[in-house]
Amino acid sequence: MIGRAWKWLRRNAIVIYGVIAVLYLLLPLFLIAVFSFNDPSGKFNYTWEGFTLDHWKNAFGIPDLTDAFITSLQLAALSTVVATLLGTLLAMGLVRYEFFGRKTANFLIVIPMATPEVVIGAALLSMFLIYGIKLGFTTLFIAHVMFSISFVVVVVRSRLIGFDRRLEEAARDLGANAFETFRLVTLPLLMPGIVGAALLSFALSIDDFVISQFNAGDTVTFPLWIYGAAQRGIPVEVYVIATMLFIATAAAMVFTVWQQRRAEKMAWILPEEEVDARLEARPGPPAPGVLGG
Amino acid sequence: MSTVRRRLVPYFLMGPGLVWLILFFVVPLYFMGRLALESGTLATGFEFTWEFANFTDSFDRFDEQFVRSFVYAGVATVIALLIAYPLAYAIAFRGGRWKNALLLAVVAPFFTTYLIRTIAWTTILSDDSVIVDVLKAVGLLGDEGRLLATPTAVIAGLVYNFLPFMVLPIYSSLERIDVRLIEAAKDLYASARVAFWKVTLPLSMPGVVAGTLLTFIPAAGDYVNAFFLGSINQSMIGNRIQSLYLMELDYPTAAALSFILMAAILAVVVVYIRFAGAEALMGDEGEQRA
Amino acid sequence: MTEREAGPMKGFKKLLFGVAMLIAALVVAACGSEGGIEGGKDEGEVPVAKAEGEPSGTVKIANWPFYIDRKTVPEFERETGIKVQYVEEVNDNNDFLAKVQPQLQRGESGGRDIMIVTDWMANRMRELGYLQDFDEEAIAPAKANLVPQLASPAFDPERKFSLPWQSGMTGLVVNKAKAPDVTSINDLFDPKYKGRVEMLNEMRDTVPLVMMADGVRPEDATEEDWMNTIEKIREAAESGQIRKFTGNDYTRDLANGDAVAVIGWSGDAVQLQADNPDIQFVMPDEGCTLWSDNMVIPVGAPNPTAAYAWMNYVYDPENQAQIADYNYYFTPVKGTKEVLERMGSDAAKSELVFPTEEYTANCSTQDEPPGGPEVVRKVEQAWQDVITGA
Repeated sequence: MIGRAWKWLRRNAIVIYGVIAVLYLLLPLFLIAVFSFNDPSGKFNYTWEGFTLDHWKNAFGIPDLTDAFITSLQLAALSTVVATLLGTLLAMGLVRYEFFGRKTANFLIVIPMATPEVVIGAALLSMFLIYGIKLGFTTLFIAHVMFSISFVVVVVRSRLIGFDRRLEEAARDLGANAFETFRLVTLPLLMPGIVGAALLSFALSIDDFVISQFNAGDTVTFPLWIYGAAQRGIPVEVYVIATMLFIATAAAMVFTVWQQRRAEKMAWILPEEEVDARLEARPGPPAPGVLGG
Repeated sequence: MSTVRRRLVPYFLMGPGLVWLILFFVVPLYFMGRLALESGTLATGFEFTWEFANFTDSFDRFDEQFVRSFVYAGVATVIALLIAYPLAYAIAFRGGRWKNALLLAVVAPFFTTYLIRTIAWTTILSDDSVIVDVLKAVGLLGDEGRLLATPTAVIAGLVYNFLPFMVLPIYSSLERIDVRLIEAAKDLYASARVAFWKVTLPLSMPGVVAGTLLTFIPAAGDYVNAFFLGSINQSMIGNRIQSLYLMELDYPTAAALSFILMAAILAVVVVYIRFAGAEALMGDEGEQRA
Repeated sequence: MTEREAGPMKGFKKLLFGVAMLIAALVVAACGSEGGIEGGKDEGEVPVAKAEGEPSGTVKIANWPFYIDRKTVPEFERETGIKVQYVEEVNDNNDFLAKVQPQLQRGESGGRDIMIVTDWMANRMRELGYLQDFDEEAIAPAKANLVPQLASPAFDPERKFSLPWQSGMTGLVVNKAKAPDVTSINDLFDPKYKGRVEMLNEMRDTVPLVMMADGVRPEDATEEDWMNTIEKIREAAESGQIRKFTGNDYTRDLANGDAVAVIGWSGDAVQLQADNPDIQFVMPDEGCTLWSDNMVIPVGAPNPTAAYAWMNYVYDPENQAQIADYNYYFTPVKGTKEVLERMGSDAAKSELVFPTEEYTANCSTQDEPPGGPEVVRKVEQAWQDVITGA
């Protein structure tokens, strides 16, 4: 009996270990969620004092905090759009074309990821100071796009590498022009990668503290507000918003994974028929000379 | 499409992104270098004077923090590797239908603000916390012992905050391994252990190299963990750079220090990559250009 | 699009050329602008922030967090029709200077009409030319209500450019249940409390107190005294006696139980008591340091007229009482005690809000090292090395 238990334990040790490790990763998140229901009598939220829903009902009751949170959302949205666009184009150029200077380009993309945030923040601040550029939302936007681009490239590139180019060729054979091929075949197949990259870039932006601290000027983002508040005691509302943010991002992530799976399934079964069908519906003959490749 | 136009296509595609990176990454580094060679004070303003002494002075003044940063980051990287590898292994080979859920759990910390999860650790590790009580009860911690404001806490914070960076690359390289290879190795060597050392581990090395770098680099420059979880005896070089730039307004010293940090990290990375021999980080090897 | 192409290409050269030109332009521009970062605006007379006509529009106030109750701002808005943009962005004097310095250097205030900084920082900003003088006529009602003890500090004897927001004491904040016998700064160096003691990272709070504990009055201290005291603190920090140097965040460590006795501010102790009655402010045997956080008007303030309206409003004892009742720091406004008594507030009885002369007899207001800016810089650097562990 003991022998069997031992054997079971040995075989499943790695699984048990994995579960423990995951619990360890989740422990602080659990604590944050619990403390979002805390009911401290003073202004500090350090020790557990009792359960209340008040802070959830009134999550946006601190105007400064709400403003900071909105600023963060705007910044993240804007920098995500730009970084995803620039990064996706970069990845396409990098994977699909042979050109002079590709090593340099590659290096330029990798090196920001291999630079500590504090150096990136300090370098940008140095430039802004020397030019006397006003720090604020614009400088934050510049910085956030900058550090997001590399991550977008990496994500989209991995999707492009696994891309079956025969699908594009098929579309062309069926008479699609370059733009149609891109819109009807390339883009939908790349979409999961692009969405994943956008999600990553959004998360990076909304979470960034170090680079933002150097380049924010008067602008206060969510993490910067927390840093300031940490000096005097963090109100429960911060825990509430953090928990909300967690739930929203996790949901978006789950949704993307689910979408991705669906798209993959579709890609297996549908592409030819679908492209075919859409081309059928297209009026007029294919323009001559578009099938340059 | 004309050849010229076609040749220009990659540059049109990559142009905007690369220009952004050059303008807001490369050029700022140049200005930081300039700033590092200036002298002056806030009251008089700063002027460019080829003040090379900034580099030597700041290194002399802060050598202790440099050493500490690299030691902490190194230890944190090793611990993170020890925690992450079995976890990635468990997810890749034993995850089954829970695989995606487990991966989600690994990246979950990223969905909560970095500062908040670090501050949460100050609560978890505080002197009156359950963890400290337990450690005292089993004798791992003396009666006067504590976790917060010790190297242990700072390193633990670094490990925790950068662990997902370690797990994900290792996972993705393990995931790519053809299971039949391992099966064959098991048949060949007749031992799961030998099969692991001879086949699985070597095949997952690119992930390990990428993971260690992705953990080490941010850890060496970090100041948030030392700020919240440490005391002055744990302050790292990032703390000082932050303080010089944003509190003391001694920009030249601050810039010189940042420069030294970057150079030191690059040196470590280059040596490491030579040693580990991996182009994995550049992500070039798998590219199939049709 | 799969052709292999050999040789350098026109397009790339063009692009490369463009980028190179851009960089060159940037570099030239940077060199052209003297290359450095400008500092200190010492040209000419200090401007006066003139009040013009009836106060209206918006007033932007930069204050420390948790420094005002929730009712004062909306009531002021209702009464005057002025909109208040109240920003809690000052967490540390140095940190705040770093944030606003580039703007003030250009003569912009970032829209701020009032900033609230501690005495020495008000002095430094003034020296850097970042502040305006008050319009005496416009601010007369407020000044008439200023308590005499705060009317002529060394850095601004006539209160020409600074007006206290709140004042307070730096002393001991102690968890009486865990460290019942701490009554002197020297007790913080008792090995019994090793690793459970914290000090403030504001040099001007911590160093004078430790100095007093060694029998040196800050008023008579030499540069050497400052350096010796800093050295003493460094040793205590390196041996692990002092756990941390903190800003306002010592409150967290006291609440968590990580610290049992700290150098801290009087008003915080009262806030902490709400959660834990054991935490108290203790007047050190050797005395305390007294400070004020002052309202100042930065250069480029867009609406000084409304700023004076705000100052006059909060210097009305009726309105001040509400702020004092929340803060528990001592109030710079005459007649506040009577209002608080009428309100039946405990603050009226508190020694912290209305200290007797006897209570603060040994307290010092001298927080600056002697000997001018060069020495101050040296001492500050030594201090910074201690608190960041260099």
